[in-house]
Amino acid sequence: MTDYIIRRSIQSVVLLFFISLLLYVILNLVPGGPFDMLALSNPRISKTHIDRLNMLLDLDKPILPGWYCPQFEGDTACRIDQGRYLRWLGKAFTGDWGESWTVQTGVNVLELIFNRLGYTILLMGISLTFAIVIAVPIGVYSAIKQYSFMDYFVTSLAFFGQSMPTFWTGLMAISILSVMLGWFPTSGVRTAGADGDIIEAIIRILSFGTKYPRLEGKEWMAIKDGLHHVALPAMVLIYFNMAQWSRYTRASMLEVLRQDYMRTARAKGLSEKWVILKHGLRNGLIPLITLLALSLPGLFGGALITETIFSWPGMGRLLIDSISNVDWPIVQGVLVLSSVLVVFSNFLGDLLYAVVDPRIQYR
Amino acid sequence: MTATTTENKPDVAGLERARIARLRPESQWTLAWKRLRRHRLAMAGLFMLVLVVFLSIAAEVIAPYAYEEIDLFRSYAPLFSEGDTGRPLHILGTDKLGRDILSRLLYAGRISLGVALTTTILNVMVGTVIGAVSGAFGGNIDSLLMRFTDLMLTLPTLPILLIMSSSLRQFVALQQFLGSSLSVVVIIAILTVFGWMTIARLVRGSVLTLRSQEFIEATRALGGSQARIIFMHLIPNSLAPIIVAATLGFGQVIISESALSFLGFGVMPPVPTWGNMLNEARNSPLEYLFTQALSPGFCIFLTVLSINFIGDGLRDALDPRLKL
Repeated sequence: MTDYIIRRSIQSVVLLFFISLLLYVILNLVPGGPFDMLALSNPRISKTHIDRLNMLLDLDKPILPGWYCPQFEGDTACRIDQGRYLRWLGKAFTGDWGESWTVQTGVNVLELIFNRLGYTILLMGISLTFAIVIAVPIGVYSAIKQYSFMDYFVTSLAFFGQSMPTFWTGLMAISILSVMLGWFPTSGVRTAGADGDIIEAIIRILSFGTKYPRLEGKEWMAIKDGLHHVALPAMVLIYFNMAQWSRYTRASMLEVLRQDYMRTARAKGLSEKWVILKHGLRNGLIPLITLLALSLPGLFGGALITETIFSWPGMGRLLIDSISNVDWPIVQGVLVLSSVLVVFSNFLGDLLYAVVDPRIQYR
Repeated sequence: MTATTTENKPDVAGLERARIARLRPESQWTLAWKRLRRHRLAMAGLFMLVLVVFLSIAAEVIAPYAYEEIDLFRSYAPLFSEGDTGRPLHILGTDKLGRDILSRLLYAGRISLGVALTTTILNVMVGTVIGAVSGAFGGNIDSLLMRFTDLMLTLPTLPILLIMSSSLRQFVALQQFLGSSLSVVVIIAILTVFGWMTIARLVRGSVLTLRSQEFIEATRALGGSQARIIFMHLIPNSLAPIIVAATLGFGQVIISESALSFLGFGVMPPVPTWGNMLNEARNSPLEYLFTQALSPGFCIFLTVLSINFIGDGLRDALDPRLKL
C-alpha cells in the first residue's frame, strides 16, 4: 500500500508537470496578445510600443529554454534564457502565479482566484449536496423496485437530465421561473443596491464581525438575498447532477442485489429491510466514492456554462472572461489549479475505495 | 398447432425445415438486431433520430424560408405569426432579424448532425488505432500511449476547446484556405483531438483480453502479420463496445458542439447551429427568451435523448455484460 501511494504520487507529480507545460505552451502559441486591443483602439500606438510592453511582460523571451536576443537599443547580445515556462513554474512554487493582464490589470492571480472561490464553492456545494441527498435514495429505491412504475419514471427522468444541456435548462429556468413567474432573480448574486452579498456576509460572520463593516446588522438579509439568487442556478445543476447520481446508484445497487451474499442474508432469516440496509446499501454505495471523487474538482473549478448564464461570479465565469480577454496568466492559473484537483481527487478516490472495500488490493 | 390437430395431417416437411432453421446458428449481429428490436425505447429513439436526420437532409425542400432571409419588420414574431402576403406562416416565430426559426432549425440540424457525425467517425478511427496498437504491441509503446491518454483525459477539455477555437480562427492562412467553413472545420478538428480517449481505452482493454486467446495464437502460428492480427482479428472482435461507445459519444459531441457555439466559440453565425441559435436567444430581450430558446434547445434535447436511448439499447443488445 505504501509502495502504491509513493508510486502514484510520483506519477501524479510527473503528470501535473506535463499538464502545466502543455497548457503553458498551448496558451503561449496562441496568436494575439494582451495588447492587441490597445493597438487597435489607439492608432498612435506603434509596433515599437507594443514590443516594449511585451518585453516588460517577458513576452519576448522564448517559452522553453533557448536563445534570447533582445530587440532593443543598448542591449542586443544574444544569451541563453531559462524560458518563460520554467520561470513561471519556479515562481508558482513560491506562490506567485503572475498578475492579470486585462481582466483586472495588475492583480495577483491567486488573489483573484481566492476572491471567486467562495461563490463557486457555495453554488457547487449546494447543488452537489442536494443532488446526492435526493438522487441516492431515489436510485436505491428504483433498484429495489426494479421495473416498477417508479423505476421507469426515475430512469426516464435521469435519461432526460443527461440529454438536456445545462445551457438549455438554464435558459428555460430563467424564462419560466423568473421572467414569467417572477419567483427568482434572473442572474447575479445580489439585488442591485444591496450593501453586500452572501459571501461577504458569511466572511463577516466567520471573522466575528471584523470585516465588511458596511454589512453591520444586515448579515442575515444578505444571506437570504444570496440564497434567493443561488436557487435558480443551483436547481439547474441539481437536476443535471441528479441524473448522473441516480443512474449510477441504481446500477450499482442492481449489481449488489444480484450477489450471492444477499441470498445468504435472506436465507439466514434476516428481514428484507435489514438485508437491504446492512448488506445491500453498504456494498452498493461503495462505487459512489468514485463519483464523489470525480465531482470534487467541479466543487472548486465551478460550472463554466451555468455560471456564465446566471452571471454568477465564480471560477467558471472568471475563466470564460479571461479566455475572451486573452488574460493568459489567469487562465493558466485556473486550469493548473483544476488539473491539480482532478489528479488529486482521482488519487484520493482510488485510495478511499481501497480503504472502504478490503477486497481491493493495490500492488 | 390447432391446424395440425383438426386436419390430422401434420406439415412434417415444414416442421422439419423450421427445426433445421432453429439449429442454424445465427450471427452475433442478427442476434443483436433481434435483441435491439425488442428494446422499445431504443426503437423509439431510432425512429426519432431517423426523423431528425431526414428533416435536416431535406431542409432545402421542407424549409418554408431560406435560413438567412431577413425581415426586419417582423423581428421576434411570436409562434404561428403571419409572414408577408403570400408567404408561409412563421410556425415557430422569427428571431431578432426576422429570420424564420423553423427554417433555421432545419438547416442548423444539418450542421450540428454533420459536425457530430464527422467528429464521431474521426474519434472512432483515431481511438481504435491508438487503442489497438497500444494493446497489441504492449511494452513501452503501450505505456507511452496510455500515459499520453491519461494526460489528455486529465486536461480540462472545455476551457481548452474554448482557447483553441478562439485562437485557431485567428490564423490568416487558415481563414483564406477555408473561408466561411473555417469555424466548422476548426470545431471538428478540436473535438477530435480531445475526443478519442474513451474509445482508445476501451479498445485497448478489449484487445488485451483477446490477445491471449487461441485464435490469435493460431493466426500468429500460421504466419499472420501483426497488422493482419490487429485489423482482421483484434479490431473486428472489439466492435461491440466500440459501437456502443461511439453512439453515446455521438450524443456527447452534439452537446459539446452546442456548448461551444452557445458560448460563442463554436460555429459562427450566419451559419446556424442549434448551439449558436441558443446563444442568440440568450442575448435577446428577456420577454422573448422563452420562444427563442425553446425550439433550438428542444432539438438538441430530442436528438441527444434518442441517441442515448439507442446507445442504451445497443449496450443491452451487443454486450449484456457491460453496465451503466
